[in-house]
Parts: sequence; C-alpha cells; structure tokens
Amino acid sequence: MPMRLWFPLGIVLLWLLMALFGPLMGLQPNQIELSKILLSHDSAAWLGYDDLGRPLWDRLVMGAQTSFMVAVGVVTISLFFGTLVGAVSGYIGGWFDHLVTRVIDIFLAFPGILLAIAMAGILGPGVENVVIALAVVGWVGFARLSRAQVLAIKHRDHVQAAIALGVSPALIVVRHLIPLIMAPLIIEATFGVASVVIAEAGLSFLGLGVQAPEASWGSMIRDGTRYLLVAPHMILVPGVALMLVVLAANLLGDQLRDRLDVRLQNSR
Amino acid sequence: MIAKYLLWLLLMLGLVGCGSPPPEGLRFAIANAAVTLDPRFSTDATSARVNRLIYQQLIDFDEANRAIPALAEWRQLSERHYRFQLMGESLFHDGTPLQAADVLATYQSVLDPATASPHRAALKLIASMAIVDERTIDFHLNKSDPLFPGYLVIGILPRKLLATQHPFNTQPVGSGPFRFVAWPEEGRLQLERLSDQRSVTFIRVKDPTVRALKLLRGEVDLLQNELPSEIVQHLVAEGMQVERRAGSNFSYLGFNFEDSLTGQQVVREAIAYALDRESIIHYLFADGAQLATSLLPPSHWAGHPSLTPYPYDPDHARQLLSSIGVSASEPLQISYKTSSDPFRIRLATVIQQQLGEVNIKVNIQSYDWGTFYGDIKKGVFQMYSLAWVGIKTPDIYRYVFHSEAIPPNGANRGRYVNPEVDRLIEQAESAATQPARVEAYRKLQALVFKELPYVPLWYEEHLYVARPDIKGYVLSSDGNYDGLIHVQRQ
Repeated sequence: MPMRLWFPLGIVLLWLLMALFGPLMGLQPNQIELSKILLSHDSAAWLGYDDLGRPLWDRLVMGAQTSFMVAVGVVTISLFFGTLVGAVSGYIGGWFDHLVTRVIDIFLAFPGILLAIAMAGILGPGVENVVIALAVVGWVGFARLSRAQVLAIKHRDHVQAAIALGVSPALIVVRHLIPLIMAPLIIEATFGVASVVIAEAGLSFLGLGVQAPEASWGSMIRDGTRYLLVAPHMILVPGVALMLVVLAANLLGDQLRDRLDVRLQNSR
Repeated sequence: MIAKYLLWLLLMLGLVGCGSPPPEGLRFAIANAAVTLDPRFSTDATSARVNRLIYQQLIDFDEANRAIPALAEWRQLSERHYRFQLMGESLFHDGTPLQAADVLATYQSVLDPATASPHRAALKLIASMAIVDERTIDFHLNKSDPLFPGYLVIGILPRKLLATQHPFNTQPVGSGPFRFVAWPEEGRLQLERLSDQRSVTFIRVKDPTVRALKLLRGEVDLLQNELPSEIVQHLVAEGMQVERRAGSNFSYLGFNFEDSLTGQQVVREAIAYALDRESIIHYLFADGAQLATSLLPPSHWAGHPSLTPYPYDPDHARQLLSSIGVSASEPLQISYKTSSDPFRIRLATVIQQQLGEVNIKVNIQSYDWGTFYGDIKKGVFQMYSLAWVGIKTPDIYRYVFHSEAIPPNGANRGRYVNPEVDRLIEQAESAATQPARVEAYRKLQALVFKELPYVPLWYEEHLYVARPDIKGYVLSSDGNYDGLIHVQRQ
C-alpha cells in the first residue's frame, strides 16, 4: 500500500479508535490536580497537563469523541437531507427546482461559518446545537451536487424505461437515481468530514461548542491561547491532532476521487 | 555652489539642533479602556482611576480607609453641618483658579436629577450647600451621617465650563497632576504630566498574553494587574520588574436566600468547609491573594481583626450535608453562575470539583457580563461568584445586607433578611462615638460571617510589572494609577 494511502488511513483509524474506545479506557479527563498545573509531562501523562492540572491525553481522547460525533452527525444529516432535496429537485424540475436552486444560491452566497456562528449563537452553546448549526449550513453542498448529477442522468434509458413502466417518482429517485450518484457524494462527504471537524473546532474556540468541563479540540486550543508563552504544549497537542485529522480526511478524499473517477483512471 | 550647499547643511544642522527633544513618553497597558472621563458619570474602575489623575477631589483615603483631606480640610460644625476649606492654590488646566464656587457647581450638577449621575443616590443626603467665601463651602445634610466626608470623591470641574455643557467625557478639564492631551481612539488615551511635561499614554490591550508580549518587546513600559500568575512568572524570568501588594478587592460566593437549597444555613456552611481556598490561592494565584473573612479587610478602620477563616474540612462538610439527607448517591444539585471570563471559568471549575467531593453537584453556567450581571441583580441564581472592588466606607453593609436594600433599592441580591443585621447596621450608623461605631460594625461582621450570605473567598493582590528602566512606581491598595505621578524612566 502506498504511503499516501496508509498515512491518512492510519490517522483516521486512530481517530476512530480514540472516539469509539475512549469511554472504555478509564480516562479521567476532568480530574483536577492543582499541583500539576501546566506541567509539560511526567510519567503518568506524557502529553502534559492543562491549566487546571488535567491530563491532556485524556482530554485529547475526549475531544476526539466530540469531533467524531459532530463530524458523523453533521455529515450524515447533511448527506441525507441534501441528497434528498437535490435529487428530488433535479428530477421534478420546473418551478420547484427553480425555488430550491434559489434557496441553495442564497445559502452559498452567505459565508458558511458565519451562518453557523449565528445559528449556534441563537440556539445557545452545546454539542447538539453545534450539530444542528453545521447541518443547516452543510446540506447545501450535497444538494447542489446531487441535483447536478441527477440532471445529468435523468434522461438515461433506464430511467425512461422505469417511467414507461409506471414506477412511482419516489421509487425512481431512490432506486434508479441516487445509487448512481453515490460516488461523487461519498467523495464530497469525505471532504465534508474535514471541514466539519475544522468548523466544530472553530465554534468551540469561540465558546459556542461544548461547555466546560467537556473537552473539544477547539476549546482546548482556546484554553491554551492564554498560556501560549509559558505552556505551548497546551496548544500544540490539540492543534497537531486537529491538523492531522483534517489532513488525513482531505488526503483520503483525494485518493477516493482518483479511484472513483473513471476519466482520471482512463487517462493514466 | 559649494557655499550654497554648505549653507543648506548648516541650516539643516541648525534645525536639528533647535530645542531638545521632549522626554520620551511612558506607555501604560490596560485591559479595559476608560469609558468616560467625566467624573460625574464614571462607574467603571478604569475611568475612575484615570479620572483621579486628571481631577482633584475634596477628600481622599488613608491606608486604613479613613477619609483624609485632599483638596480641602473640613470641620463638623454641628451634626448635620460640615464646613470645607480649600487648602493650597489649585489651577484648572485652562488656567482658572479652583474656588469654592467650582465645588458648589460640581456637586449641584451631580445632584441635579437632569444630569442623571449614577453617584447622585449616594449624595442625596445633602440638603443644601452654601458658599461662605472664595475658599470655603458649607454642606448641610438632611440626616446625620458620620461617614459623610467619605462620600465627597467626585472630581471637581470648573464652573465656567459646566455652565456651557462642556463635553468633559471626551475633553476633560481638571486640576489634577495630569492634563488631557488626546483620545484619538477608544484604546489610546494620552495625558501629560504637568510636573515635567512627560506624556503618558494608556494603551488598551485586551489579551493578557499580548499584553505580556508587548511589554517584553518594549511596546509598552508598564502595566498593572489582570495577568495570569504563570505569565507573571515568565515575565520575571525575562528580567521584568514585578511588585505585589495586598489588595482590598473582596471575592466571594453569593447565595440566594429565596432558594430552597442555598437558603439553608447548613448548605452554605458545608460549602464554606468544602472549599480548599488555600490550595486555590497557592496554585491558581501563585500565592497572590489573601484569605478573606469579611467584606472589609482587617486593616480597614471598621474591619474585624480576629475572624478565623472556615478551615478546609470536607469530612465536616459531608457530615453537615448528610444531616439533610445528602449522600453520594443523592447529591445536592446547585447551579453556579459566573461570567465568561476565562479565569473566572477556571476558578469555577476548581470550585465545582471541590464541591463535587462533598456530594454537591455543581452546574456551571457562564454568561457574558451583561447577561450574568443582569441575572444577579434580578435574583435569578442559586449561587454566584463576584467581587466588590474599591470599597472604602462601611456604609457598604447597608447597601449589601440591609433588608431594605433588595434591588433596585440596593445590592442585597441574595434577598438576605435578618432583623438583627438591620439593627446592627442602624446602630453602627447612629453610634455617638467612633469606638462604639467600630464595635457595632465588628459585631455585624461576625454575625454575617456566621450566617454566610456570602462565603468569603479572598482579597486578590495588586500586581505591577514594568520594564527594567522604569523606576519609582508605587502600588496602591485599591489598584489606582496614582503611581504614575512619580514614575520615571532611567
């Protein structure tokens, strides 16, 4: 397996393991130990301690859970609703399609993260609200992509045949259109994971994500900025983790695109 | 041609040589900019501290917070009649002399309801004022109050400009040791020290790390307070001067007496025993705070010198709570409101953990300052933490604990009602002699300490950090900026 595949796969796998098995590891991310404030490392915690003497490794794992949960939640919701809206709109066409396209345009014209901040601000802090806020912004990309794809294939013979045989439009969309457009959607979803992880960290950095004492990579970075001069490890640990996961997700998306894109393979 | 060139050169040299350059200014970093430079309206700490430099006030306070003469000395002619006599010659920065008429105009303006000064309420006991001569003014009160001279802390404004509605908030004219020069943007206020024409610029730098970095790089020369102790240690290691002195700003946990849980004496007492305040002071403040027992520090003339702090005793706290049926399986649930300042949240998280160990499950709710303060004033809380800043006179007890001081009439935000407390407050206020007054205030403090409407936490120390070439700054016990009057660069 080439390096550019196993590296991102390894990172994402590690992230997955941290997120799924974190609760079973007997960690104590909220154990305050005042005598260990800002220590850079010792035998019990090789990543060091934060501004309340809590072990950074334990908090990193907890942050992995937060970011994984938010990423999966947001991408799943966005993928489901976005695809449905886009595919139906593309298939039906007419005034409905017109309306949906306008709505999509409006959403796209507005800076996504700003809308998410506004949403999170209105809904109040909390992980669930971050998921909602990001999903409200996230469905648009999937909708636009699936609409375009459906427009491209809805005149194919098998769809015409299904129409001729009297299959209901709902069934045509679900069974004859969506399966054919899954490949680009999955690629989009992979990139979506990367951008959602960043967006969640951004919202948590602004204090709109998880609430203390829960941990998120964004909130860990925020706590760390106050001690940048004396304890850079407080930022480096979550910062590097965040960078690696986002890089890995993007690399994986690239790989997937290369593999699933027929034209690219032919040209090789 | 050459001669012309030489002439040019001479001219240039002459221009450069003309006049010595003004002394290099001092730059003082602050976390929050001043809001208004009009002493009739300033309520925030920065404005009050800057205004002390631009204006002079009739009285000031000594180390024990007793009122002492500043602009004027006074005599109490009868129970409700005070005579203030201006001392020395003072000029306003526009050149006019400061006279009794200016004092009269300033206080008349504050007392005028149309001015809507936030300080009016504290001065409402002034029934009338009269000018005796150019340098003497009489104050007649509508009720006797031995603390009265301590209320006259408004900077004196020139009467001529008051009459023309001069915008003092942006173009102050006072008689203090500093003259206003410019305030081009909110975060940049320039004053000039009259004694040596040295300019002093207040530069707002919100982030503590950036403030420390600017100090290290020499973009600012000195700063005061609001730095995490870890950064202070770093600055010391980098060769900056650091000075500390005990402060009088009182931090506390407040409780709501109308709540079924925090209204119970036993719950508040358990919380007092459950907090390991000494560790918090040691680790979070790097020993930069003193344990508090009362709103007024022991060094205050009315302070209580011998209250012993509640010791850290989690077993006793658990025992107390078990008497009302609280156990590890059935913890007490208390919501704890605090501001969204990162250091306050950090403190709250430690308190949450310490209370968790005695079976009190604390739910931290942090809000932006406006929401937080609004909720506290409305009484929408179970427990909260705040600090009293700049307390000088013991009339604070009426304002905070008297049953008639429930907001909006005062700051009895926890709705604490105890007839004995009311009686002691009134007894202290009407005491005939100073020792009797002190005695009543001490009794009152002991009672409040026992009933715990506040769990006293600590007095945070004041801190001053400067570059190595800065000399002569003296920290004050209330954190004001008066040290700037004498500070020098070497």
